[in-house]
Amino acid sequence: MMKQRSTSKTVIQVCLALFFIAVVIAPIITMFTRINSESIRSLTSSPNFVPAIFNSVTTALTATVISMVLAILASFSLCRTSMRGKGIFSMLFVLPMLVPSISHAYGLKALIGVNGSGMLAFMLGSNVSIYGFRGIVAGSVMYSFPVAFLMIQSILQYEDGMPYKAAAVLGIPPLRRFTGITLPYMKKTLISMFFAVFTMIMTDYGVPAALKNENFGDTLSTIMFSDATQLKLGNAGVIGIMLLVPAVVAFAVDMLVPELSQSGFVSEGVEAGKGKLPKIAAYIFCSILAIAILMPITAFIIQVFAKSYPRDMSFSLTHVQNTLKSGADRFLLNSLIYSVIAAVFGTLLAFICAYMTTRAKSRITKALHLMSITSVAIPGLVLGLSYIIFFKNTPIYGTIFIIGLANSIHFFASPYLMMYNTLGKVNPDLEAVGKTLGIKRIRIITDVIVPKVRFTMYEMVVYFFVNSMMTISAVSLLAPPAPQPLSLMISSAESQIDIGKAATVSLMILVINFIIKLIITFINRKKSKE
Amino acid sequence: MDSLKDKLIIEGVSKQYKEKEVLKSVSFTVKDGEFLSILGPSGCGKTTLLRILIGLLPADTGTVVKDGVDITKAAPDKRGMGIVFQNYALFENMTAQQNVEYALKMKKSTKADAKEKAARMLETVGLSDRAKSLPKNLSGGQQQRVAIARTLALQPDIILLDEPMSALDVATRLAMRSELKKLQASFGTTMIYVTHDQEEAFALSDRIMIMDKGEISQLDTPENICRNPANDYVRTFVLDNLRAKIDSLSKYAPGLK
Ligand SMILES: Nc1ncnc2c1ncn2[C@@H]1O[C@H](COP(=O)(O)OP(=O)(O)OP(=O)(O)O)[C@@H](O)[C@H]1O
Ligand SMILES: [Mg+2]
Repeated sequence: MMKQRSTSKTVIQVCLALFFIAVVIAPIITMFTRINSESIRSLTSSPNFVPAIFNSVTTALTATVISMVLAILASFSLCRTSMRGKGIFSMLFVLPMLVPSISHAYGLKALIGVNGSGMLAFMLGSNVSIYGFRGIVAGSVMYSFPVAFLMIQSILQYEDGMPYKAAAVLGIPPLRRFTGITLPYMKKTLISMFFAVFTMIMTDYGVPAALKNENFGDTLSTIMFSDATQLKLGNAGVIGIMLLVPAVVAFAVDMLVPELSQSGFVSEGVEAGKGKLPKIAAYIFCSILAIAILMPITAFIIQVFAKSYPRDMSFSLTHVQNTLKSGADRFLLNSLIYSVIAAVFGTLLAFICAYMTTRAKSRITKALHLMSITSVAIPGLVLGLSYIIFFKNTPIYGTIFIIGLANSIHFFASPYLMMYNTLGKVNPDLEAVGKTLGIKRIRIITDVIVPKVRFTMYEMVVYFFVNSMMTISAVSLLAPPAPQPLSLMISSAESQIDIGKAATVSLMILVINFIIKLIITFINRKKSKE
Repeated sequence: MDSLKDKLIIEGVSKQYKEKEVLKSVSFTVKDGEFLSILGPSGCGKTTLLRILIGLLPADTGTVVKDGVDITKAAPDKRGMGIVFQNYALFENMTAQQNVEYALKMKKSTKADAKEKAARMLETVGLSDRAKSLPKNLSGGQQQRVAIARTLALQPDIILLDEPMSALDVATRLAMRSELKKLQASFGTTMIYVTHDQEEAFALSDRIMIMDKGEISQLDTPENICRNPANDYVRTFVLDNLRAKIDSLSKYAPGLK
């Protein structure tokens, strides 16, 4: 009986591992096999290839540094001063995460545009252009800032306050406290964050697609997209590998840099500074930052309801009507289906994997864990391309299932890790108690463990849902032929009418994601009350 | 004691993790209805031994015989044994009553039966008034009582307890000790009690089994252990420690000695 149980455990783990091989590893390897010397030659000999490398690296590097500096300043303002409005600012700062990256790019266009077509430019009468390097950096900062901000804020919040008290008693000056206590504490996070943000920006295709121009040229991601859509799969594959490099480095760094050795127990957090000047400075800084990062979205929303933005700002529903006429309702339905598939299937799969790797260890547990977090290193475009190649002749190609699957895999790592961490903390003897009382493991899972970890589960559902609603990378290569999701109406916008539609669609996505976030915030309130 | 029949016979049980020998061919006998403590320092294999006894862990070699039946390979829930874990491992989303009821409901007993039985168990451990409380609203001692009630409800004839007192404060510990003895008397259950607290072992046990690095150093009544410690280890680890405790106490309360 005992033997049988442990066998079924191993069988499940082997099945999961095989599943990951089938939907992650095999497709990526197949993508590699499409590359030959001909595709490498034709790609490297194209005149825009080398500039694209340069463009990708310089924009990503610049935007990463700016994002990180802003995120550090913002999180220190919120966590280490006694400024007012902390709750509001934390909320405003992560709002940009609820719309696709490309929406920020269109927002910038709406705001500044080229040759006076934007709102600001129109008001100021200038003709600054937002296309090219400046715009791509700005757009990238908009959507990567929240990610960086959340990473720093979460570790600052849980820093132990004791060393600071001790240092204060010993009369160590503030600057030394910062370099001696704070920096070492944040080191690992800062390193991981640098690579994570850099990778995220470098592999993003929405912002450069919307803001590149003749002068600036291409980035690696825009070349990859156009090669993939022209079915130059070998060429796209080569860039796919190049885009995998920073992600793999990020992944390796994350595994190699040792976890900071803070004792798990924090008696009290770090006290916020009482100084008046820092408090005012922090408030001003956060206000300006919030306005700056939300301005493009705001401009975009205004565009939705303006008759002929920016010249005629009278209220009108023309754009909304146009959007609905061009099938937005159908695309919205598709998007909701994709999001629900990812939320249900992804959460279930992530839960099962995390359960196996934390509480049902076997010989392949480590391998399974590694496979579960690999997806974080695979950029959406690369995943999409590998799926085109690998699933081309299977029945799921061109159906809702391939996108549901792609989204579940693409966004798998974070929810998996959430559950991995939560389950690791749940009493390790529950299953053993069950065994001695004659309660089946599955009942312990459904009746005891799931109720215990349900809040993490809700977070996972939201993560899959929100990200599936707004992703454009992998899906842009898979749909069509698969039914088109709403977000792709943004990236296909070309004409002025389209831009009105793109704005409307962005707003729809924002509203839906915002509602979902509100619901989870409400539910989590209940948790903290518990 | 000698007149009692053998309840559990452990014969040549050993267990190895990779290179490390955790149990080295352990053999001993537990008498029916006795209170046996297993005493030993951290890492000597006490928990491993308990897990093998109840079937949560397979032994590499050796047999476990209960009431004349070889149960070495039997499933944990088919052995007529119960176990109370150090951290209790209560079902946190269920009330005290539901914790006790849950396993009963899984068995064939009807809902009404299970309910009534669980209520009776809670009464036995003195928790009737907290039946509707969730574990997190119970004190450490109360949580432990729930864990014990949950185990007792299935009417095991042997209960294993793995350092059940280590999370409790001193006063609660003392109270729980006598509770435990009372429960044992009224149910007639054999109890195997793991601890690394010398004083606790001596206060509670009919016999004490002293372990060191996966081996049994001595198994005897508290009295005999005091009179004839089997070796230096028993002398230092058990008796010297115990004496030190008594000495330090008598310093403050000279009348004690
Ligand atoms: N799954 C495992 N893999 C490898 N070694 C293990 C494992 N479980 C236990 N051990 C080792 O076996 C030895 C005995 O462990 P056990 O838990 O039985 O000790 P113990 O006497 O209960 O100690 P404590 O008083 O600390 O609970 C320890 O050295 C422990 O490190
Ligand atoms: Mg132990």
